[in-house]
Amino acid sequence: MALLEVQDLNTRFKTDDGVVQAVSGVSFDLERGKTLGVVGESGSGKSVTFLTVMGLLDPRHAEMTGSVRFDNQEILGLNTSQLRPIRGERIGMIFQDPMTSLNPVKKIGWQLEEAVLIHNDVPRSEARRRAIEVLEEVEIPKADTRIDDYAHQFSGGMRQRVMIAMALINQPELLIADEPTTALDVTTQAQILRLMEKLQNEHGMAIVMITHDLGVVAELADDVIVMYGGRIVESAQVDDLFAKPEMPYTWGLLGSLPRVDVDVERLEQIPGQPPSLLRPPKGCAFNPRCAYTFDRCREELPELRPAEGKSDHEFRCHLEEADRARIWTEKQAAMAASAESAA
Amino acid sequence: MSELLAVENLEKYFPVTRGLIFQKEIAQVKAVDGVNFTLNAGETLGVVGESGCGKSTMARCIARLLEPTGGKIVFNGQDITHLGRKEMRPIRRDMMMVFQDPYASLNARKRVGSIIAEPLEVHNIGSDADRKRRVQELLEIVGLSPEHYNRFPHEFSGGQRQRIGIARALSINPKLIICDEPVSALDVSVQAQILNLLKDLQRDFDLTYIFIAHDLNVVRHVSDRVMVMYLGKPVETGSRAELYASPKHPYSGALLSAVPIADPKLGRARKQIVLEGDVPSPINPPAACRFHPRCPRFVDGKCNVDEPLLTRVPGATDHDFACHFPLERWPMGDDELRHEGAFAQEATPAGSFD
Repeated sequence: MALLEVQDLNTRFKTDDGVVQAVSGVSFDLERGKTLGVVGESGSGKSVTFLTVMGLLDPRHAEMTGSVRFDNQEILGLNTSQLRPIRGERIGMIFQDPMTSLNPVKKIGWQLEEAVLIHNDVPRSEARRRAIEVLEEVEIPKADTRIDDYAHQFSGGMRQRVMIAMALINQPELLIADEPTTALDVTTQAQILRLMEKLQNEHGMAIVMITHDLGVVAELADDVIVMYGGRIVESAQVDDLFAKPEMPYTWGLLGSLPRVDVDVERLEQIPGQPPSLLRPPKGCAFNPRCAYTFDRCREELPELRPAEGKSDHEFRCHLEEADRARIWTEKQAAMAASAESAA
Repeated sequence: MSELLAVENLEKYFPVTRGLIFQKEIAQVKAVDGVNFTLNAGETLGVVGESGCGKSTMARCIARLLEPTGGKIVFNGQDITHLGRKEMRPIRRDMMMVFQDPYASLNARKRVGSIIAEPLEVHNIGSDADRKRRVQELLEIVGLSPEHYNRFPHEFSGGQRQRIGIARALSINPKLIICDEPVSALDVSVQAQILNLLKDLQRDFDLTYIFIAHDLNVVRHVSDRVMVMYLGKPVETGSRAELYASPKHPYSGALLSAVPIADPKLGRARKQIVLEGDVPSPINPPAACRFHPRCPRFVDGKCNVDEPLLTRVPGATDHDFACHFPLERWPMGDDELRHEGAFAQEATPAGSFD
């Protein structure tokens, strides 16, 4: 039984300009102890998907349908008090910007203790003891004195550690991390990723890693979902996705990454902008930016279908298997050639 | 190729003061502490380092948005180190900046047309009609459309805003453009668009760039030469080919190996230097080699006593490093990650993850 099962999730916002369909028909499972990478550009619906899962959207503005089962219990549509034994206790969350997620006028110790006190009937001294313990666990030096500091006294990386500590303090079974390293230096990013890996090994929690960087996913994830225009456009085990991505958007994401190991004279770029979810393009949402668009792409939304010989690798694209295999082989050859000519 | 910019021993110290009325200087932040380089016309210098290493301060000194404490900046054959506001004016026509945050660096109350035209107005170039034509041309050059002339910045995405910032920098045909983390706030797919655009513009308009970033891989695609900075000092400089083929300073190795590789097999198999902690405070920097408290190759009695100077890599034409125990191999082996000396017994090797 998977820890988190999401079935046909849809999220719509009513705005003055019309209805924004931010999430359309998203389904996936996440097992205990595994890491799911969720990749997409800004506006692809990846954050909204997990705000919906966590019940953090206001039902007065957002219309949510589908099913979210956490440990075999339906949690979509629960109200705040019903969610309390789950959210913050069994599911922890980390947000992108650690400065705006921490309260600037309260000591971080107070904020950590609060997370304990809301969910447990313990004295404050016990909560403080746990707060120091969890700060030590996220490798903050001199945790017993730094607990009385304010958020502004920490550097960006240290603040993100505090956020992780806060999410972990009640030992959740699932940690949802929304771009936890995007605002950080590469060196700090490496520290935070190693830390999350270590904590996962020690506590066996499941992690959802939301990011726009396929590199982060390659290092950390077991399974990957690629989102575009509010839909899953490809999902696979991490090795399969990088060995043979099946659709043009994933190719574009891979090509646009600056490579560490090779010199590339010119990065591949995905032209244009992500689609407006207010007025999404007809047919495949990626068709206006895709180099391989043909008539059918402009008319008909491709269904998620399994890749050849891999039932757990699904993608959306009208291109035939032979064409996709040929294009991917050509792309790999081109990348290798460009690396060679640059060297 | 002619030399466009020469920076000699540049220093910028900020005073740390105490007291409200009678301010007493109690310490100095040595944000930039002895930077040397020259830059030829048409070249790109990539400057890399973590937050707080002084790379932005250095850029601001060169653009003379800050007054340098010491050293010399020669731009286009003229010493501009201590020129006043008026004297700098004509020089500013040749020097523009592109900033990191495309949300904060564009005036939200102005239309795109007047944002891009502002440098033209400041320098009194052309009539109103000329300027409008020029702005529309610029919009097209950076990949926007002339219809965007009357829009406001909030109507654009992050990548498009960065294009507006670039159009503004291009407006007066500068010789040098200083890009301060121009792609750090952008999604990777948009980042590739902007990097390619900057390269195309350089080719078309014969631009010279100083390109600042915290990611050595981003810099790789635009730079001819690269300078790695740590706590106000360059620790390694070199041509792109030489520096990336065999980085010598452990800090360069750490920056390079910190970036995730988009290949699960390669990425998980390689050796990585994960630095501990943050950049130390520049108010009281570590003695001798400033990197020694975080360095995986630290040797007690040497690195904390004797400051390494920039020295030429044997056999290289343009590759200098400042380290007593440089990396021998690249990609790194186990030897590269070893602590040596007395320190090694008490500490686990910093960031040797296999």
